[in-house]
Amino acid sequence: MRIKRLVFAVVLVALWIAIPAFASRSVVDMLVWTGLYTIAGLGVSFLLGQCGIVSLAQSVFFGIGAYASAYCATQFGWMAPAGFLVGMVVSALIALAVGWPVLRLSGYFLALATLALAIIGHVMFLEWDWLTGGTLGIGGIPALDLFGFALNTPQRFYFLVWPLAVFVLCLHRNLLHSRTGFAIRAMRDAPAAAQVLGVDTRVLKVKMFILSAVLGALAGSLFAHYVTFVSVDSFGVDRAINFLLLAVLGGATTIFGTILGALFITVMPNVLSRFGDIHGVLFAASLILAVIFLPEGFGGALRRAFVRSEPKP
Amino acid sequence: MSNLLDVRNVSHSFRGLSVLRGVNFVAPQGQIVGLIGPNGAGKSTLFNIISGFLEPNQGQVFYQGEDISRLSVPQRSRRGLMRSFQTPQVFSHLTVRENLMAGCYKETGSGLIAGLSGMRGSRREQARMGDTADRACEIYGLTGVRDQLAGKLPGGQQRLVELARAAIGKPTLLCLDEPSSGLNTEEVNQLMAMLRRLNAEGVTILLVSHDMDLVAVAEHVHVLCFGEIIASGSFAAVKGDARVRDAYLGV
Repeated sequence: MRIKRLVFAVVLVALWIAIPAFASRSVVDMLVWTGLYTIAGLGVSFLLGQCGIVSLAQSVFFGIGAYASAYCATQFGWMAPAGFLVGMVVSALIALAVGWPVLRLSGYFLALATLALAIIGHVMFLEWDWLTGGTLGIGGIPALDLFGFALNTPQRFYFLVWPLAVFVLCLHRNLLHSRTGFAIRAMRDAPAAAQVLGVDTRVLKVKMFILSAVLGALAGSLFAHYVTFVSVDSFGVDRAINFLLLAVLGGATTIFGTILGALFITVMPNVLSRFGDIHGVLFAASLILAVIFLPEGFGGALRRAFVRSEPKP
Repeated sequence: MSNLLDVRNVSHSFRGLSVLRGVNFVAPQGQIVGLIGPNGAGKSTLFNIISGFLEPNQGQVFYQGEDISRLSVPQRSRRGLMRSFQTPQVFSHLTVRENLMAGCYKETGSGLIAGLSGMRGSRREQARMGDTADRACEIYGLTGVRDQLAGKLPGGQQRLVELARAAIGKPTLLCLDEPSSGLNTEEVNQLMAMLRRLNAEGVTILLVSHDMDLVAVAEHVHVLCFGEIIASGSFAAVKGDARVRDAYLGV
């Protein structure tokens, strides 16, 4: 079984390295987007699947990361890592300030509260045009530079965003099997019993919300340096819904399923766009079919297939 | 003998409906203490107040001589005060082993960052948690279902998982809410053995139950009726009390 998995992994990695060499620029661009969506979406899917928290606020943290990087780079001329750091710290602080009161809610009420946050965030990005440039946005954000190597094409950016995405996925996989991970899943399944075991569920929820926000900011900063232009249109409620959608489609209970959800969200609209005006309807139909036939998401379906293929002990 | 738990003059009402009226009772260290009473007597409310899920309108709860009335559930748990629930609360998407590993929360200490990084300390801690869980499976007869999802087990076994999980958390007082409900005879026997074992290890047990056979193991019994303690004493003495017979046992 080990060998089979190892072969599978080696093939995946080889394929991953080879893709930019022969795939077209637009395909690689799509895959870069998949990577960005994976990072931000992981925050949402981890909250949804492991903590039982529905968050529609990820677009706000994505925006904060993007604006922090854009502003620090263009206004202060700071190095890129500084912008990343500012975005993540500001996101963490806002997640703390908002999460502490809001995470007392649960279920639909919490979902609505986070939706409200997304709407407020969008309005603020629009109104604070001295900071965000409003609808005009901020342009001229320099491409990232890795050891003197400018990441100014999709092919090059691909090799930054994917290792990062896999890295954060691995971190979350570690977390899931740690002491904190057990506490998180205990809290999801039976919050009262988790408290009896000594888990301060309120603090833990806020911590997880902050972690999710930091991922959103990280993806946002990467996004800003990738497209080199950010405007308020990129951080609307539709973006927040996309992040939640990919979490649901990927199957929030499996961490690596997030990649598949992100792939669906980026590839499907592209594929369907060739059908002209009805592509929106087709996309909606594909979503409905996916949810009906794969109730556990792509990740869940894949895991099931793997388990079935392994001989029973 | 010192009193581990001391409930003083606790009153509580829900929207004007008085549920507890000046309840006083103690649980001496190392004993099994029973709390019985008819339906609606206020047993569950009292339990929630003791364990911290509910703040009383009036009165105080002392634990090991400390006023814990304002402490949260996890804070009380860290002091050794733990409870079970009337319907067993297992972590249904975790295996039995993982449920027990979650029970090690207080005994371990790695934080979020260590967990994310998967550092050696965190991994070693996981191994320790796994060992503790395996040992508990053996002690409490759960080895056969160790790798099954706890939510898929029958109610009786979920109860045992819940109890074993609490036992791992090294309680000094274990409050059990109707622990024998939904259990078959064999499982009740298993439960009694478990309680005796824990008690022998020095755990004080507070037992709410309708099951008179189970309550008979208690050295001291309090009878709660319409929000007031109407009798306290040994099981035999309480059973003989006229008021108790009227209010509860006779019906």
